[in-house]
Parts: sequence; C-alpha cells; structure tokens
Amino acid sequence: MNRSRLGDAAVYLVLLAGAGVTLAPFLLSLQTAVKTPLQFASQPVLAPPNPVTGANFAELFGARYDFVTPIAVTAQVVAVILVGQLLFSVFAAYAFARLEFPGRDALFWVYLATLMVPQAVTIIPLYLMMTEVGLRNTFWALVLPQLFGSPYAIFLLREYFRGIPSDLLDAAKLDGCGTLRTLRHVVVPVSRPILATLLIITVVAQWNNFLWPLVITTGRTWQTLTVATAALQDQYNGNWTIVMAATTVAILPLLVIFLLFQKHVIRSITITGFR
Amino acid sequence: MKSTRTAYLLLAPSLLGVATFLVLPILVVVWLAMERWDLIGPRTFVGLDNVGAVASDGRFARSLLVTVVFVVIVIPAQTVLGLGTALLLNRGLRGASVFRVLFVLPWICAPLVLGVVWRWILAPTDGALNAIIGHRVEWLADPALALPSVAAVTVWTQVGYVALFFVAGLRAIPPTVHEAAVLDGAGPWQTFRRITLPLLRPTLFFVLVTGVISTFQTFDAVYALTPKGGPEGVTDVVAGRIYYEAFQNREVGQAAVMAVVLFVLLVAVTLVQQRWFARRTTYDLST
Repeated sequence: MNRSRLGDAAVYLVLLAGAGVTLAPFLLSLQTAVKTPLQFASQPVLAPPNPVTGANFAELFGARYDFVTPIAVTAQVVAVILVGQLLFSVFAAYAFARLEFPGRDALFWVYLATLMVPQAVTIIPLYLMMTEVGLRNTFWALVLPQLFGSPYAIFLLREYFRGIPSDLLDAAKLDGCGTLRTLRHVVVPVSRPILATLLIITVVAQWNNFLWPLVITTGRTWQTLTVATAALQDQYNGNWTIVMAATTVAILPLLVIFLLFQKHVIRSITITGFR
Repeated sequence: MKSTRTAYLLLAPSLLGVATFLVLPILVVVWLAMERWDLIGPRTFVGLDNVGAVASDGRFARSLLVTVVFVVIVIPAQTVLGLGTALLLNRGLRGASVFRVLFVLPWICAPLVLGVVWRWILAPTDGALNAIIGHRVEWLADPALALPSVAAVTVWTQVGYVALFFVAGLRAIPPTVHEAAVLDGAGPWQTFRRITLPLLRPTLFFVLVTGVISTFQTFDAVYALTPKGGPEGVTDVVAGRIYYEAFQNREVGQAAVMAVVLFVLLVAVTLVQQRWFARRTTYDLST
C-alpha cells in the first residue's frame, strides 16, 4: 500500500512539473506584459512586476500600435468564415449523405483528395488569382478561400448525417417539408454535437491562421491579430513589455473560450484530430 | 430527376469553393512553375529554367534536409512524451482531468503567437530562460542550437495534444486485458511492452501519420522564432523557403517549383501511409 502511495506521489510530482513547464511561458509573458518598460530594463528579468501596470495594454490599443483594428478584423473574418463554412458544409454533407445523384461518389472522392493539398502549395497561386481579380488586401481575400465549406467538415458531417434514422427524414417529407426546411428543423437540431465540434475547431483554426493573411494583406487596414503581432515583434524587437502585451491579447480570447468549453474542446480534438 | 437537381443546388457553393480554391490553384501553381514573375510586373514563359535554378541553388535541397531533420527530432520526442503523459494521466488519480486540460493549452493558441512568446523566453540577454539558468546561451542565434530549440518549442506545443489521443486509446483497452496479464504474473514493463503497446498501435499510427504530415509543413512558429531561415539557414524549413522565395526574393516561378515538389512529396507520403493504414489498422473515432 505504502509503495503505491509513494508511486502516486511520484506521478503527481511529474505531472506538476509538466504543468509548470506548460504554464510558465504564459505566466512569464503575462508578468512581463504588466511591467513598466523601465522596470523591465533595469531589474532582473524574473523580478515580480512593481508596480503592476496596464500601461502596455493602454499603449497597445492607442493610436501608435492600434491593436483595436486587428481584433475587429480577426473577429469579422472568423465570424463570416464560420457562418459560410458551417452552412455550406451542411448543404454539401447532406447531399452526399442522403441524396442519390449521378457523380456522387466520384465527386466525394475529389473532395476527399483535396484534403491532401497543403496550404504552403496553394498560397502562391491564390495570391496570383486574388491579384488578377483585384482583391488583394481586401476583406474578401481573407475570407473567400475558406468561405464555401471545408472538405474536412463535409467529411465529418456526412458521417454524422448518415447515422440519422431515415424515419425522421421521411416523416419530415410526409409533413410537406422541402429540403431546406428538413435541414433546418430535423437535420441541424439532431446534429448539434458535431456542429458544436465544428464550430470550435473552425473558430480556433481561423483565429490562429497566419500564413494566408500574412501574404495577402499589406499595411494595417486588414491586418489580422497574428499578422499584427508578428509585425509588432519585428518592428519593436526588444521592447518585450509591449510585445508580451500583444501576445497576451492575441491568446486571451481563445484561452477564455477553451476554459469555458474545455470538456467539449477536448472531445472535439479527439473526435476530429484536427489540423 | 428532382433529387439530382436538389443535390447539385446544395453542392453548388462547396463545389465552387473546392474548384476555385483547392483544385484550380494546383493547375495554376504548375503553370507558374514555368513562368518568371516578380509579384508585380508582367510574367514571361521560361519553361524549365525555374527547375534548373532551384536544382542548382542548393537552398531548396538544404530546406528539405532541414525539414526532415526537424521532423525526425519532433515526432519521436512528442510521441514518447505524449505517451508517457497519457500513461500517467490514465492511472485514475484525482485531478488527472485538470492536468489533461492544462497540457492542451498550448495547442489551442496560435503557433505564431507562441513563437513570439518563446522568442522572448529564449532571448539571450533579457530572456526568461537564461535568467533562470543563470548564464547566457544563444538559443536561437547559435547555428548548433537553433534547430533543436525550435523543435523543442514545437514539441512543447504538441505534447498535450498527442497525449489526448493516447488517453483515448488507453481508455479503449478493456481493463480485463491488464488484469489477465497481472494474473499471469506479468510485471508492469512486460504488460506495457506486450499488451498495452500492441493494443495502442492504431492510435500510434494515427498520431505518427498526422504528426509527420503537419510537422513537414511547419511555418508559423519557425517564422516567429528564427526569421529568414535562422542562423546560416539551419532552420530554413520548406514552407518558409517557399514563402521567402516568393514574397521576399520575388522569384515566384522558383517558389512554384518548390511548391510542386512539396505537394508531390506530401501526396506520396500520404498515399504510402494510407496503404500501410488500410492493411494494418483501423482507428476508432468514437472514443
């Protein structure tokens, strides 16, 4: 008995050490973000903040760094992509799962095959295409490539929709529901868990997206939060108090979402293995 | 038939999206690989000149090598640490689920932003790590340390995520299997080696396959930690090479050649692994 208790203590120690290593970068960056630049420059790096200041954040949201714009841009991009992706993925998945039509299997195979296309390969041609149609450095350039549904979401939804009992769908049809009403009143309500999962992974993936916004936007107007953070660190390398304020702002919204919905997020990751 | 019309109406938006933003770019990138373009001016057809330029340059070959080394460091490290973490989390201790949540935190955050945070932590004079260990180490500027440092940061972001899958895999093993092994007199190591590990094989393959494919395309964190390929190009991963070639050197055609090569490589890896998968394993997504 004693031995197993000793074993438990050892396990806890290892887990605590792991938690320390995991959390330390977040806590250290937060600590630096609430220090005055003067204290950061003159005292040891690890010294606790004295005084604790919100000045870095105030400055970050002020006219010079203007982090309000990237937050607004990112929120809009995420919201628009989220709506488009969920709506159009539900449409496509329903067609693939429950309707008979010529070319269905071949088309679905094409959708699946596009899962193998890496982002690093498409950014160059997409840049050219956006330039040609005059959309470079616009809101539409940020959202269009992701707006029309994702093959991955369609794949997951199709699996789920195939499990919906035919009786439910037939009953809706008997009641005179068209396809759109069946989707809205039957399919979507019974698919809440998978839709919640897709909602979470879409928000996280789009909020964190970097390479495409980096390439397709210039200047501040359409900078997303990740691009603005990278630009800030590039320009003010060494002004770590303001840079850490920026990383805190960029991380915090997702952290809050994560802690609020952690059970669901963890389940979502295990279901989808996303990214 | 009515259902055919309905189906194609429902499919129309995603068909447009897939055709325009996933299929067409593949054709365009192949065409661009035979053009010369500086992002702004006119394009000129140069045929296979870009291929020759990329082949003789040497930086692309180096970036492939860098990426392979990066994958070879990251994947075993995160798999072993992830499995170890999962084994500890799976011992039925109180509070294990809290640790599980904590360990996934980095995975939720933008790799770019975490890269910026770690850039400060690893900074030589005013960074946190050197303050903790008490002497100056050039983690990101020393050519010998830069790639291992970037790999370590990547592992740090992914261990908790990898562990999640192993926890799910371990839970899917019926406890009776272990009880039987203990009754037969198997020690903990034997049980792990002969029972747990073989039964975890589907999870292991899933984690390895998705890990290799995504790690091969790493960009964000590397970009933040060691811009422009790092000291002497030691962290110049393929995705970064393509980005810098197109958007800094403005040799779009050459970057397109690299993109085509990367695409072919990743498709090959995926197909080989899928055949391997189909033969040996199925992964139960329901757990």
